[in-house]
Amino acid sequence: MAFRIGVDIGGTFTDFALIDDSNGRVAVHKVLTTPRDPSEAVLQGIDELLAREKQPIQQVVSVVHGTTLVTNAVIERKGARTGMLVTRGFRDVIDIALERRYDLYDLRLKLAQPVVPRLLRREVDGRLRADGSEEQALSLEQVLSEVTNLRQQDDIQALAICFMNSYANGRHEEAAREAVAKRFPELYLCTSSDVLPFMREYERWTTATVNAYTQPMTDRYLGRLESELQRRGFTGAFLVMTSSGGAVSAALARRYPVRLIESGPAAGALMSGFLGVLAGAPNLLSFDMGGTTAKGALLRDGQPLKKYELEVARVHEFKQGSGLQLRIPVIDMIEIGAGGGSLAQVDERGLVKVGPQSAGAEPGPACYGRGGKRPTSTDCNVLLGYLDPNFFLGGRMRLDAAAAGQALQSEVAKPLSLEQDRAAFGVHEILNEDVARAFRIHASELGFDYRRCSMVAFGGSGPVHAMRIARKLRIPDVIFPAGAGVMSAIGMLVTPVSFETLRTRRVALAELDAAKLDAHFQPLIDQASAFLKQAGIARNEVTVLRRLDMRYRGQGYEVEVTLPAELSGPVLMAAIPELFRKAYSETFSQTHPDAPMEVVNWKVEGIGPRPKVAGSYQVLGPAGGQVDKGTRKAYLADKGGFLDCRVVNRYALKPGDTVTGPALIEENESTCLIGPGDRAQVDPRYNLIVRLAY
Amino acid sequence: MQEFDAVSLKIMWDRLVSIADEIVLSLVRTSFSINVREGYDLTCVLFDARGRTLAQGTYSVPSFCGTAPQTLQHMLRRYPAETLRPGDVVMTNDPWMGTGHLYDINVMRPVFRGDKLVGFTMSVTHLPDIGGVGFSATPVEVYAEGFRMPVVKLMHAGKLNEELLELFRFNVRVPDENVGDLMANVTCNEVGGRALLDFMDEYGIDDLSPLSDAIQEQSARAMREELLKIPNGVYKNAVDIEGIDEPIRLAATVKVNDGRVAIDFEGTSGPVRGAINVPICYTRAFSYYVVKCLTIPTLPNNEGAVRAIDVTAPQNCVLNCEPPWPTGGRHAVGHFVVPLLMGAFAQAVPERVITEPAMMTVFSVQGKNREGHDISSLFFLAGGFGAAKGTDGLSVTPAPSNMTVVPSEVWENLTGIVVERREMLADSGGPGEFRGGVGQEVVFRNDTGHLLTVGFVGQRTQFPARGLFGGQWGAKRTYFVNGKPVHPKGRHVLQPGDRFSTHEAGAGGYGDPLKRPLERVLADCREGLVTVEGAKRDYGVQVDARSGGGQRIATAAQ
Repeated sequence: MAFRIGVDIGGTFTDFALIDDSNGRVAVHKVLTTPRDPSEAVLQGIDELLAREKQPIQQVVSVVHGTTLVTNAVIERKGARTGMLVTRGFRDVIDIALERRYDLYDLRLKLAQPVVPRLLRREVDGRLRADGSEEQALSLEQVLSEVTNLRQQDDIQALAICFMNSYANGRHEEAAREAVAKRFPELYLCTSSDVLPFMREYERWTTATVNAYTQPMTDRYLGRLESELQRRGFTGAFLVMTSSGGAVSAALARRYPVRLIESGPAAGALMSGFLGVLAGAPNLLSFDMGGTTAKGALLRDGQPLKKYELEVARVHEFKQGSGLQLRIPVIDMIEIGAGGGSLAQVDERGLVKVGPQSAGAEPGPACYGRGGKRPTSTDCNVLLGYLDPNFFLGGRMRLDAAAAGQALQSEVAKPLSLEQDRAAFGVHEILNEDVARAFRIHASELGFDYRRCSMVAFGGSGPVHAMRIARKLRIPDVIFPAGAGVMSAIGMLVTPVSFETLRTRRVALAELDAAKLDAHFQPLIDQASAFLKQAGIARNEVTVLRRLDMRYRGQGYEVEVTLPAELSGPVLMAAIPELFRKAYSETFSQTHPDAPMEVVNWKVEGIGPRPKVAGSYQVLGPAGGQVDKGTRKAYLADKGGFLDCRVVNRYALKPGDTVTGPALIEENESTCLIGPGDRAQVDPRYNLIVRLAY
Repeated sequence: MQEFDAVSLKIMWDRLVSIADEIVLSLVRTSFSINVREGYDLTCVLFDARGRTLAQGTYSVPSFCGTAPQTLQHMLRRYPAETLRPGDVVMTNDPWMGTGHLYDINVMRPVFRGDKLVGFTMSVTHLPDIGGVGFSATPVEVYAEGFRMPVVKLMHAGKLNEELLELFRFNVRVPDENVGDLMANVTCNEVGGRALLDFMDEYGIDDLSPLSDAIQEQSARAMREELLKIPNGVYKNAVDIEGIDEPIRLAATVKVNDGRVAIDFEGTSGPVRGAINVPICYTRAFSYYVVKCLTIPTLPNNEGAVRAIDVTAPQNCVLNCEPPWPTGGRHAVGHFVVPLLMGAFAQAVPERVITEPAMMTVFSVQGKNREGHDISSLFFLAGGFGAAKGTDGLSVTPAPSNMTVVPSEVWENLTGIVVERREMLADSGGPGEFRGGVGQEVVFRNDTGHLLTVGFVGQRTQFPARGLFGGQWGAKRTYFVNGKPVHPKGRHVLQPGDRFSTHEAGAGGYGDPLKRPLERVLADCREGLVTVEGAKRDYGVQVDARSGGGQRIATAAQ
């Protein structure tokens, strides 16, 4: 018997999923997050879940863990006191940033502050040229005296070593790291060329400083968790989820904590892909909506689209460009300021606006009865009859519909002379429109055609909004997964161990041959393989994906070319120009047959074997009970008002059952709203697949 | 007029904006122009059948505020609406009918539902090249600046005007990329038109005009409410800026009267013999931009939003030049409309305005890189951003538009010119209760092994950014070759190993520097943005460099 556990720490709850690999059965669990020390909830939940399922921890072969620890530390500025060693003349690079305003109309624009203050950045002599050759030797004497000073005067705990052109040659950074490590073994150190050898000093150094800043706490946290698990008798692999949708060994996570940012949502998107493939719908929109935000991702062939950019700690709610710019491999996700707690109000145009401000958990929506006086999207969903005030969180919390009505009247309906029902539906629909817009815009940025895709909808607020959003996008069907409340935790269980990296080397294609091509890739492949080995994956189990960022010489923009795994040597070399032209013309609808080409970035992804999840995978089992819970008056826009609407107990539905809308299908954490004529069917894994009536 | 409530108007309006945004983003993704890709130097607008704005893309630079409706009117004068057929595509890059210089191509496509004209879509993008002398201030007539097209049809009923395209290709340096961008405009308008038709189907709308009326009305009402908060009065301001041979004076009178704003540029200098003249469309765009920033920054652009704003300028002044004055670098003068009007509005709404920003430098380099390939590149650098009541100016941030910055490592890799230093300049921010943003020092070394020609274009070398309400000037901009200050407009030939550098200017301060809280002055000193001498001289604060403490030795007059 072999079990695996996935753990995802969220803002309110820490979620758990335990899979029995012999039969694919998944058991789930939730406990309250313990913000002061998140590992408490993790250990408590694992203990409870294993006790409930009557399994000893010795049967568990791996624990995959996703955490918001790093994200929160950067947002709340709770990382370590961090210093920076930087090439003389460049200490202000992380302040000067991109010299760009993210909003040209806001005269009081704020920018994200670097995590290392100017005072703690120290310049040293030593310079490499753009080709990596040495122009001036590194002054180790200055390195040591500056670090001594930072250590003694400023009590730094971590140090980022960031030199010019280190993407081309990391040896100055490495020499500085060695010297400092010898003298100050207690300091946490990281070099920008090790974190990601990418050309562009501002982003690379920002990434390195955030990495150093979060290293001490990540190290302590994962160390504690690992030793506590061992104390309980756990002997399996302890893995940590990264933002790119792969898991890494705890050792690697401690070396690159910056890669853990946004790992929970990444696991959710990955789970969407897994479910979509099982359901025969590999091209997908993953839609996850909670209390304050919604997250979206686009998936092709079950794989989420990726990129090498991530913004963290935005100082302006949801404004792209207002955060710290990181370069790490990530799943490309959109974040929308829309959720159950989103506030409805009158905007500057005199129209209804929903979000991005949120009532948060305290006071929360007006209907929570905790003193909130402003109407939220959840308040409106109660007024519209979509949510049952007596069955919120499975009946654990009673909602006050009258308070919701009052808040909506005073803040929106009355000032805009709207009937209450109209205002409530307006808020619901505006939120739907905002989400649909974000998907449309994201898809057109990426040139992604979503019209034949399915949507996977989850999160506490996703299912009540998904159908109307899907209709706006002309999407044919929506999948409401079983276990929607713990999607990210389950997602950890389908995640392979993987490591992805890149480096910048601008090389003319004409100067390359098969041997040189391999020589450029080899160090990256070796690195990825070595890291995977740490996580217990043998080299022959590793699948290597090679990609190139290429362009025509003289152009300022690259396109990504994926090299087919089955090609190698001269055959591969000969195929590259055509692969590039194909990728190029997909973006630009043309090519320049005679123009010289060059490679800019070299990318490698090493992927371990995908966890084999039994085809009989299922989260929910037969529970029995009454399917019908009666009817409730719900607002159906297409029918022009409130109508009796069938209420269904999701847990009582069996594979093959169908429900035709209008219907409200309730589970503890959420309610699916199915419109008139839409037809839901329960698949063998207890997922609800709803086909829209057009 | 058909009624739309606050819900349906919101949903339909935002949906239209989102259609425009989608077109903008697909153009950005496929564009060859670096200005478009990195600087969002483009826009897209949807119109109803009468040529009135429904929506404009959210992301675009200020120079496109309110220009497209005028451009469309020029197009419809040449090709009246009733003569247009499905599949027609009309375009122009005329600076006076379009957006102020030849680089911007305006491409319009009528939208038909069956055979009924229901609207128009238009996109505007900055082309990679337009022929002529290239990006330069030297032309004295527009004819030298490149290929100028009146309102012409690129497509007749879906059929490409091959001869026109051939002519266009023949007149530009990178024809493939230019035609690529031109056709991307054509495609995106087609996509936009389809999206507009889908929108009409989805909402069961036969005629977009009632919706555009409602959008314009709602915008006008929202704007009027805000404008009524600005006290009535006549507010004047003038700024002097560097010209071609002698300084240029820009002058403005802003009359605010019960929610109406009249802006006139009487007193502004005449056109100049260099490509920095500004057509009125551009002056108007930046005037609208200022009012928008001061009132409702998030209000979508349309005629309703600017209905209460009149912009006039004397005939043939530098802010209202006529053909054939050259306009390629119209931003060099036109951007100053922003500080000019901010200074006037400062008298009316002191708590809303920002001080004069330091603007930016554009410099060009020509030579060979280390590999022996020709290089010819533009490099942008920003000075400090203006301060406002309650807010220090941002350091090293461009204004009033955005720019494309090249990272030092990318620059070194492509050109072989080494960047030796990039540092914020202490004491360059204008002292004030709220300090102006600081500029930067950047030092380059010609490591190419070849001769290198460098030319600078930047303002504030003679006229610094001024402060407001007792706030002081920011530091001026200075260019150096081998450490010696050089003429700011010159071109310089550098030997291998020579250095050139710039001190980017600082922005003006806001309010009396002696009122700046002591702890803020000390914090600036600790961070190195103000020196110990600067603290004493500008803020009346004696700082103990060793402890970082200090005390006030001069206080503000009460």
